[in-house]
Amino acid sequence: MTPFLSHPFSTFRHLRPLLLTGLFYITIASFAFAGIEAADNIPDPPVDYLKEVRPILARHCLSCHGADAAKRKAKLRLDGPDPMAVSIKRSTPVIVPGNPESSGLYQRVTSEKDSQRMPPPDTENNPLQAEEILVLKNWIQQGAPYAAHWSFTMLTRPKLPSTKKNSWPINPIDHFVLARLEQNGLTPSASADSYTLIRRVSLDLRGLPPSPEEVATFINDTASGSYSRMVDRFLADPAFGERWAGMWLDLARYADSSGYGSDPLRTIWAFRDWVIDAFNQNLSFDQFTVQQLAGDLLENPSTPQMVATAFHRNTMTNTEGGTDDEEFRIAAVKDRVDTTLQVWMGLTMGCAKCHDHKYDPISQKEYYQFFAFFNQTADADHSDERPLLKLAEETVLEKDRLIEEQLTKLREQLKEAAEEDQEALKKQIEQAEKTKPDIPTVPIMKELPSDQLRSTTILVRGSFMDKGAEVTTDVPQAFHPLAPDTPSNRLGIGQWLMDPANPLTARVTANRFWAQLFGSGIVETEEDFGTQGELPSHPQLLDWIASELIESKWNIKSLLRLIVTSATYRQTSRLSSDLLTVDPRNRLFTRGPRFRLKAEMVRDQALALSGLLSRKMHGPSVFPPQPPGLWRAAFNGDRTWHTSQGPDRYRRGLYTFWRRTVPYPSMATFDAPSREICNIRRIRTNTPLQAFVTLNDPVYVEAAQALARRIVRNGGETPEQRAHFALQLCLTRPPEAKQIKILIELYESEKAFYETDPDAAQQMATNPLGPLPTGMKKEELASWTVVSNVLLNLDEILTKR
Amino acid sequence: MSPVNCQLQACTRRHFLHNTGTGIGSIALSSLLGHSANRTAAASEHSLQPHFTPRTKNIIYLHMAGSPPQHELFDYKPKLVEHHLQPCPQSLLENQRFAFIKGHPNLLGTPYQFSPQGQSGTLVSELLPHFGKMIDKVAVIKSMHTDQFNHAPAQLLLYTGSPRFGHASMGAWATYGLGSENQNLPGFVVLTSGGTDPSGGKSLWGSGFLPSVHQGVQCRTEGAPILYANNPKGMNRATRRRSLDALRDLNERQFKQFGDPETESRIEQYELAYRMQIAVPEVMDIRQEPQHIHELYNADPQSSSFANNCLLARRLVEQGVRFVQLFDWGWDIHGTAKSNDIVHHLPEKCKQVDQPIAALIKDLDQRGLLDETLIVWSGEFGRTSMNEERNGSKFLGRDHHPHCFSMWMAGGGIKGGISYGETDELGFFITENQIEVHDLQATILHLLGFDPFRFQYSFQGLNHRLIGPEGNATIQHGLIA
Repeated sequence: MTPFLSHPFSTFRHLRPLLLTGLFYITIASFAFAGIEAADNIPDPPVDYLKEVRPILARHCLSCHGADAAKRKAKLRLDGPDPMAVSIKRSTPVIVPGNPESSGLYQRVTSEKDSQRMPPPDTENNPLQAEEILVLKNWIQQGAPYAAHWSFTMLTRPKLPSTKKNSWPINPIDHFVLARLEQNGLTPSASADSYTLIRRVSLDLRGLPPSPEEVATFINDTASGSYSRMVDRFLADPAFGERWAGMWLDLARYADSSGYGSDPLRTIWAFRDWVIDAFNQNLSFDQFTVQQLAGDLLENPSTPQMVATAFHRNTMTNTEGGTDDEEFRIAAVKDRVDTTLQVWMGLTMGCAKCHDHKYDPISQKEYYQFFAFFNQTADADHSDERPLLKLAEETVLEKDRLIEEQLTKLREQLKEAAEEDQEALKKQIEQAEKTKPDIPTVPIMKELPSDQLRSTTILVRGSFMDKGAEVTTDVPQAFHPLAPDTPSNRLGIGQWLMDPANPLTARVTANRFWAQLFGSGIVETEEDFGTQGELPSHPQLLDWIASELIESKWNIKSLLRLIVTSATYRQTSRLSSDLLTVDPRNRLFTRGPRFRLKAEMVRDQALALSGLLSRKMHGPSVFPPQPPGLWRAAFNGDRTWHTSQGPDRYRRGLYTFWRRTVPYPSMATFDAPSREICNIRRIRTNTPLQAFVTLNDPVYVEAAQALARRIVRNGGETPEQRAHFALQLCLTRPPEAKQIKILIELYESEKAFYETDPDAAQQMATNPLGPLPTGMKKEELASWTVVSNVLLNLDEILTKR
Repeated sequence: MSPVNCQLQACTRRHFLHNTGTGIGSIALSSLLGHSANRTAAASEHSLQPHFTPRTKNIIYLHMAGSPPQHELFDYKPKLVEHHLQPCPQSLLENQRFAFIKGHPNLLGTPYQFSPQGQSGTLVSELLPHFGKMIDKVAVIKSMHTDQFNHAPAQLLLYTGSPRFGHASMGAWATYGLGSENQNLPGFVVLTSGGTDPSGGKSLWGSGFLPSVHQGVQCRTEGAPILYANNPKGMNRATRRRSLDALRDLNERQFKQFGDPETESRIEQYELAYRMQIAVPEVMDIRQEPQHIHELYNADPQSSSFANNCLLARRLVEQGVRFVQLFDWGWDIHGTAKSNDIVHHLPEKCKQVDQPIAALIKDLDQRGLLDETLIVWSGEFGRTSMNEERNGSKFLGRDHHPHCFSMWMAGGGIKGGISYGETDELGFFITENQIEVHDLQATILHLLGFDPFRFQYSFQGLNHRLIGPEGNATIQHGLIA
């Protein structure tokens, strides 16, 4: 292993040659020890620098002895391979490998004297615990081996590990998972049954439960390869693009309003549609990336490529009176920098706006060098959101141009016209305005002409008024340099992100898709692949999938197919007390994924089961019912929620109008973010407010009423038949007798009640869905509505299992 | 476990309220559960402890959205009166940015009288006669400073420690740290009046990076107090109970078969929702208060108002709600019209809040709750010493001003009857005891029993704190009893 002091301090860029010459095997080797502790007690097990030492240094030392030059004390830097120290007594080196007692670091953390002991008692840093001191001691004792941060090292495709139970793996993913399980003396869970699997795959790939017909097709397909055929059917369903756009829109901070005080409404839904189509067309992830970051800079960009650039026009615009447009233009550019690095590289650069990053190797100067790439677009916090792209057929655009020309002329004439002519001219203008076609627009990125380019400076403490030294475009030193001939603009950044030499993009992307399917990533902190983030649970598995992603030419559908066809994914999600003890959070993948559906899926599933769901795609956002009076934004912002009529009432959640200051309440309750800024990961919660939504929100009551009608219409004649039908429909599996019995008992008790209260029955059966269908009895429907309301609230329904 | 180290894994299963695990559902299920991981998770998620003995248990924050003019209320400047409508000295205007003032503005002297109040003799405006009588309970601060002068960013800074979106609000921090004392009510409740939400929107009571259970629950004073808490039309409570029984039976079967602790937690949440359906409307029903209390607050159960919200705030903290946040709209006194000027509009606004605020202090005091309840009153920034005169307006008004503003605190460990900090003779800059927004936050956290420097949450590679990353905030011990 590379001793801590064996080579001079180097930046990570300098480390790359070392890596290539094979000296740097430690990064991979050390992972073998990751995870659950071995059962046998070896005295002083090898200390893992990344897992054990680095977190202690980061927690207690690096805020004063880290990458931030301005905050660095005693010129001592502890985050690199070689601690630089000049002010500690020269006779005491910071670290003497193999000898803790002679090492300054160990002496200072164990000193009895308050004036000597580190960290100083009066700082924000917590004192070291005894076990932390022991880790440092053992580490130095063992030669103080150092390892570069895992995610900054180059991606290589690992070999498949050997395993014992060779009958289990279906594809390479399973070899990595199984090797880890066997290491811990564990075995995988059995495969889930077909009913469970089709529901799981359907929800995962397209965000909707399978229809009874789809279930029948799959169950009746007994030929080999039926599972793959089922997967392929869902991958080809246009609902696929909608489901995955839902994930991407959190990252893109897509919303239908501009944010801040009055939060005015914004027309940018064409971008949402672009994302849906991109996923459905399986646009390769590198094209997906480049078009969003710099579609306008491609040669002869197509309209969709221009629309893609709205990705970075989802930043907020401040229209509050008395604001400085430059202040908020800069805020938007910073947001673009932060979002770009976070989405593609899992790095949080926010703090480098004001000072050098304390933990990750990004200086403030580097932040503004990166910022300079994004600082040349024409948008500038204008309240009209210009530059905009008009979206229509060429003939319509031509008509629009002609009328616009005519209007300009008329307005000129009006200015100079004599008083008696003014009235007539005004009428003409009014007429012309009426004939103007109603063309949707989308805000886009547009590079400034070369004679209007802005100069970029460091902003001292991040303040737009406090300009420091001027900087030019560059990427942070710690990473691979721009390839030769890369343009010095956003297009260059797109290429740099997708360069196979970029150690992070493929890892971060593979991890993100994995997390969507398994409920958490191989790196749990999806948002942070930096030194403060969690380490991967299966580093080689992640690297293998990431390599595979690159080799497939960034094919997202094949990445997803690979994961959902693995044996790992297909395991049952059943838990036992043993599993809860050895793998409480399923970090080892001892079982299949099991977690609550995300906000959009909770809604879409209820609508799908009830039969109300509209599968209409694309277009302006819609306004499903929400309680009146919620839009009360400041400064005369738009206050009317025009509830949609007809099918638009029942569209998928992704089409719901998303106003940042007042997000759609039922969605927010299920942890959807407000999308003011990029949101990498939704943290799932489980609260009584969620119960209120699915029990009482008129949207869900309406779904229960429609489900009740479906049950009565299609479910047979007897309560038994109907209960059976309802359970089979909702749970996607043959029900148990006991479940049927519980539902029938509820049905009978409510029927008895509603027969005594016809008004209540009428309300329960029809408000808000609408009049009773002919031939149906209100007491019956009201009672089935109560039953349906229970069904739509089952744990089994709200959970992907 | 220290509050710093709460891991996400525990938080994802963090329950809505502090003392779950005692609900009906969990009693029924405890035998099924045995010793599962859920117990450990549940134990660790409730183990956040204050760093030291708290001086206050609850907080009521009264926010005057738009920012009231300090020169009319607490920071009396005879010099401004003397030079009323005379040109502002040039030296004050150098390097200054204003939101709306253009050209060379005139100074604006207050048209209102000030007189010493209480034993402490603190100067209070004639616009706040009721409040003046409570002044010996109050610490008035005249030296607040912010670096934001647009509403939304300034409010965000005040409540989340950052002028940008995405950070956790003060109330979320408080419930994250201390939970709620009442298992049937949310720990953080927000009430608004004046017909408009504050400029910063829901982020002012958002959970940011903290788990979303800590976000403030906006309780409405008309209709169902919590969204969707009412059963559907045509469903009575007996039917709801029977349907929840069926739901529980089915979910218990699921739990037996699949053993997922999350299922058990879900059963608990439904039972809690059922109890909240009673508890929340009850606490929100001010009709249950006697006549003399309505009169004390000038509350009116027939309508919604700031006065009602003050009374509700008392009822909520009495029931153990940790943080009650009130926003009252209408304090952005620019003087562009009669409806937002100093002569006509401001006295109206003051009348709406003066008596209820005095009543709140008095009522809490009489119930022995003032010692454990911190009341904070503020806007988000100050207002200029100059008349705004936007577009030549004839109405008197003041523009946004970040360099100084006034606020006050009372109860919960605060020294009463003091006036803290000073501004110059024109009320433009602070001359003594400048308090930054982060200092205020540090002081409030300190009163709640937390070390503001160590009270942090790790997210996206950063240890986030309410007081911001710089760590240069100062607890204002001069304000603490």
